[in-house]
Amino acid sequence: MPAEDFAPINSEWLEKAGNLWTTPFVDKPSERVIVDPILLSHAAALFKKTPKYFWENPDEAARMVCQACELYDITPVGHYLWADYWGQDYGAEIKIQETSPPAITKYPIKEPEDIDKFEVKSPEELKEGPTFKDHFKALDTVLEEYPQMFAPITQLAGPMEVATNWAGIEDVFMWMITEPEIVDKLIVKATEHMVNACKVTAEKYGANVMITGSVVASGDLLEREQIKRFSYEPQCKAVKNVLKAGAGPGIYYHLCGNHTNSFDMWKDAPMSPFTVVQVGNDGKNVFPSSKLVEHFGDRCTCFGVVDTKLIDRGTPRQVYDQTAEQLQAGKDSPRGFIIGSSCECPTYAPPANVHAMVKAAKDYGKYEKF
Amino acid sequence: MDIKKLISKISKVYSMDIKISEEVANLLKDNGLKAEEMEKVIKDAEESGKKLESKDGSKCLAKAEDDNLTCYALYSASNGGFSLDSGYAHKMKMVGPTGGEFNVEAADEADWICKKCNENAIEANVDMTYLGVTRPGNAIVCPKCGDMYLGEDMVPTIKGAEGILEEKRG
Repeated sequence: MPAEDFAPINSEWLEKAGNLWTTPFVDKPSERVIVDPILLSHAAALFKKTPKYFWENPDEAARMVCQACELYDITPVGHYLWADYWGQDYGAEIKIQETSPPAITKYPIKEPEDIDKFEVKSPEELKEGPTFKDHFKALDTVLEEYPQMFAPITQLAGPMEVATNWAGIEDVFMWMITEPEIVDKLIVKATEHMVNACKVTAEKYGANVMITGSVVASGDLLEREQIKRFSYEPQCKAVKNVLKAGAGPGIYYHLCGNHTNSFDMWKDAPMSPFTVVQVGNDGKNVFPSSKLVEHFGDRCTCFGVVDTKLIDRGTPRQVYDQTAEQLQAGKDSPRGFIIGSSCECPTYAPPANVHAMVKAAKDYGKYEKF
Repeated sequence: MDIKKLISKISKVYSMDIKISEEVANLLKDNGLKAEEMEKVIKDAEESGKKLESKDGSKCLAKAEDDNLTCYALYSASNGGFSLDSGYAHKMKMVGPTGGEFNVEAADEADWICKKCNENAIEANVDMTYLGVTRPGNAIVCPKCGDMYLGEDMVPTIKGAEGILEEKRG
């Protein structure tokens, strides 16, 4: 769908949504909490397109996301990314799938011995690589066609996530037990890559946001000490080096999945003035906003969550009720609050459920602190 | 310190020679700083001992704060005097540890020593305030006296944040 196929974005809405979005970061009063359901390929479904079409056409994907932001009245920012970034730059093969995000089918690191020989790409090499080619195509589309919805990001996740896009997750987990020192080496390379990737975004666009955090390294898969060693500590070093390299000032710690056994250590992770922390689950339950604000509210902006499974499979009423509960516990967090989904909005989630989140924000998300 | 030693130290400080290269002078100009300000920062730091010294002893970092600006002088010893290596400033005011206290055990050690306390400095989040907004930033901190410094490599991050706050709050 070329640009001319879309209806123009309403400028009055855009200004209002922009104000809602900046409130959590700059304390400028606005009416209510903004909703960020982490919209990606769900936007394609709204335009009767498939996830395959979404990820194969980054420019069109960016347009669909921007348009969906207005449709739902949510965070007015155009994005394009997927989880298995960076593998291709290092020789991985990916499969563009019809109904789910692209997935790696062949990894460049197959044996522990491959790690020593594995060379991290320079910023110049990454800039010309396949990941940034698509990423920049999407971001450039937003910049040119929806400039007020432009907030450039670098999709990193954490060093464990980068490492498991270079070597199969089963292999990395096995080496963590049999040869943990070799995983340390791999993680160091992943952190070097993170810094180089962020440099590229910073050089091209200036101020930007790094999406980092811990997805693979969650409590369902790893012990606290393993998370500390292979994810938290190297990631803290990487974030500091990213900031020192001139990237940022935005840092978004996306702690996806269950982090009961480790969420507290992120309180001391390096922060900038525009830092957001999001924790997905507390055991099997959605991470309570009250707990998030208790631990992070006096530190940074809190991203309260609604269970992604509920958004996908629940009723609008269930989504509305959970959003309302999370909002009431977090909306007046001292350093700002955003309500969203615990991870990416599922492609085929009922639109009525996303609408239910926004409806709850309008009904229960009005600020009392201003 | 007896009075003679004190007088000797003060006279040494006030007669000190501080070299500023053309390159650094241009940097100061770009950063809106004056050479006299930097000289005063260095003199005050040498007189009070309130400064950071790099672990290899080659560099010192000193600062001066007022309500609107914190200025830093990064300098080194040179031929019995000092040489200014860099000068920078930020408007966000550092007010204390993020979350109320520094977690020294969890913090990384910095490449600096607090000269006054003779204590290894750490890297930690500190609260910074500007235009009525308080948010964290990563700084170099003495865990003993609590003195906080912004490393030169973090200046672009903080300047970027100041720019956004000025646009949205100014």
